[in-house]
Amino acid sequence: MDVTIHFKEIDHKLFGFVEGEIDTFTASGLRDELEAVKITEGLEIELDLSKVNYMDSTGLGIFVAFYKRALRENGKVKLVGLSNRLQRLFEITGLSDLMDIETDKKVELR
Amino acid sequence: MVNQTERNLYIAQNFTRQLIQKNISPEDVISIHKNAVEQIFPNQMNELQPAYDFLIEVMVHYGMAHREHQSLLQKQAEYEMEMKIATNIQKTLLKTYVPNMKNIDIGMISVPIRKMNGDYVHFFHDGEEYLSVAVTDVVGKGVPAALCMSMVKYGLETLVYAYKDPSYVLEVINRVIEKGVDDSMFVSMFYGCLNVEQNIFSYASAGHEPALHYSAKNDQFFTLEAKGLLLGVLSETNYTFHEIVLEENDLIIMMTDGVTEFRVKEELNSREVITTLIKENRHLSAQQLCQLLYKEIERVQNFKLFDDFTVVILKK
Amino acid sequence: MTYRSSVEIITEWDIVAARQLGRNEAKALGFGTVDQARITTAISELARNIYLYASIGIIAIERVEADTEKKIVVVATDQGPGIKDVRKVMEDGYSTSGGLGAGLPGVKRLMDSLDIQSVVGEGTTIRAEKWLR
Repeated sequence: MDVTIHFKEIDHKLFGFVEGEIDTFTASGLRDELEAVKITEGLEIELDLSKVNYMDSTGLGIFVAFYKRALRENGKVKLVGLSNRLQRLFEITGLSDLMDIETDKKVELR
Repeated sequence: MVNQTERNLYIAQNFTRQLIQKNISPEDVISIHKNAVEQIFPNQMNELQPAYDFLIEVMVHYGMAHREHQSLLQKQAEYEMEMKIATNIQKTLLKTYVPNMKNIDIGMISVPIRKMNGDYVHFFHDGEEYLSVAVTDVVGKGVPAALCMSMVKYGLETLVYAYKDPSYVLEVINRVIEKGVDDSMFVSMFYGCLNVEQNIFSYASAGHEPALHYSAKNDQFFTLEAKGLLLGVLSETNYTFHEIVLEENDLIIMMTDGVTEFRVKEELNSREVITTLIKENRHLSAQQLCQLLYKEIERVQNFKLFDDFTVVILKK
Repeated sequence: MTYRSSVEIITEWDIVAARQLGRNEAKALGFGTVDQARITTAISELARNIYLYASIGIIAIERVEADTEKKIVVVATDQGPGIKDVRKVMEDGYSTSGGLGAGLPGVKRLMDSLDIQSVVGEGTTIRAEKWLR
């Protein structure tokens, strides 16, 4: 199982759709793709994780690194569509207080 | 060529084995074959010659690939040797000394998923009065994790003077890691300090899996929730600590996410598996409980663990 | 006695000419079929490197016939970008990402010796020799 990311730019806002399993083995590809994103001042980036069905701490590291870079370059990162499981991961690690995170409402309703 | 038998082919196979052992390249093998054919069927050689020469040309390149492969295999063996040495160094460097105390039973198990362990446990104790324990997990596995962990260990060792203060320990280690490693590297840590005489356990967490407290009196588990950011994300982070009172036969179970995260069987509640097992076997020693927990979780996950596995149990 | 002849590498078809020259010289010197094929493959690799990375260069073939030794010498010269880290390109698996066998380490194994002189921005001279035994 691999992980992919597709980008779409709508009204100067960048949307990234992540899909697959993020672990030690698949992580480097995703890291490269996120590192290639050019962050300009004030750019809003929304990463949709609703199709991520597994993520370990290495995956977490990639998003934190991306978040920190965005912070330095005055961009904005928001993570959306987190499953309960991912939500818990971000809560335990204290990252949910730091980063802009939105849970997947569809998952919660189920 | 007409009466080719299976016996002949078997002999040829054995011969091939010898050729490979002696590192004879494929183009030479074809050349030997060509010469043999030439001796046996000299009349047909005029027609066959170009075909054989063509094959030799092609095989020269295969031979090159074959030799490169051999050389890469040797290189790999060298790397493995270095890795083995590094693993041994890490084992010595990051060896955990489990203290032996009169009034508190301590158990620990830490099993790496790969050669190098990304989990680390550090104990401090001051005679029989205080016992502190740090359970840490570095993001990522293998060599990078092990290198980062050495830093954590030495950071902890310099904090002997302050080991009774969980918040302070986390704050200092956080700054050490934040300065020392890149953005995607960080560490989670659960830090607890037990005042053995007063039976007070104070703890703080930096993005770590919550620990469990089993209260014997209530025959019930309590989660030791403590919110705090992972170490190494932001340089100025504050950590709050909490306290609980420990009573006779109470247990504290600290672990890394390798224990609680089930990758295959998502539907299983790992906390339930852990609490049920411990409740049923609470009469065992702390070390026996650790061992049992490892066996059970290994079984539940079909003997395929995905992360370093570490459990520390304190039993009053 | 040394006979020297050379082929200029400009188009891909010049690689074929260099191969042909090398094979003829190797044959004339007395190399067997398999060694002829090895020498030709080595020349092919060197000529291809020129064609791909330097676009223009020369493959010179020397046939050395002394009383004590006979050898073929292949000299590939170009004024291309040069090689920044020679040690690195001589590592197996570097230029091929493992297992294609091509590249300079492969050439070295086909021949007996390989010598590289390269200045970044000025060009590269590679000298490969093979003795007749």
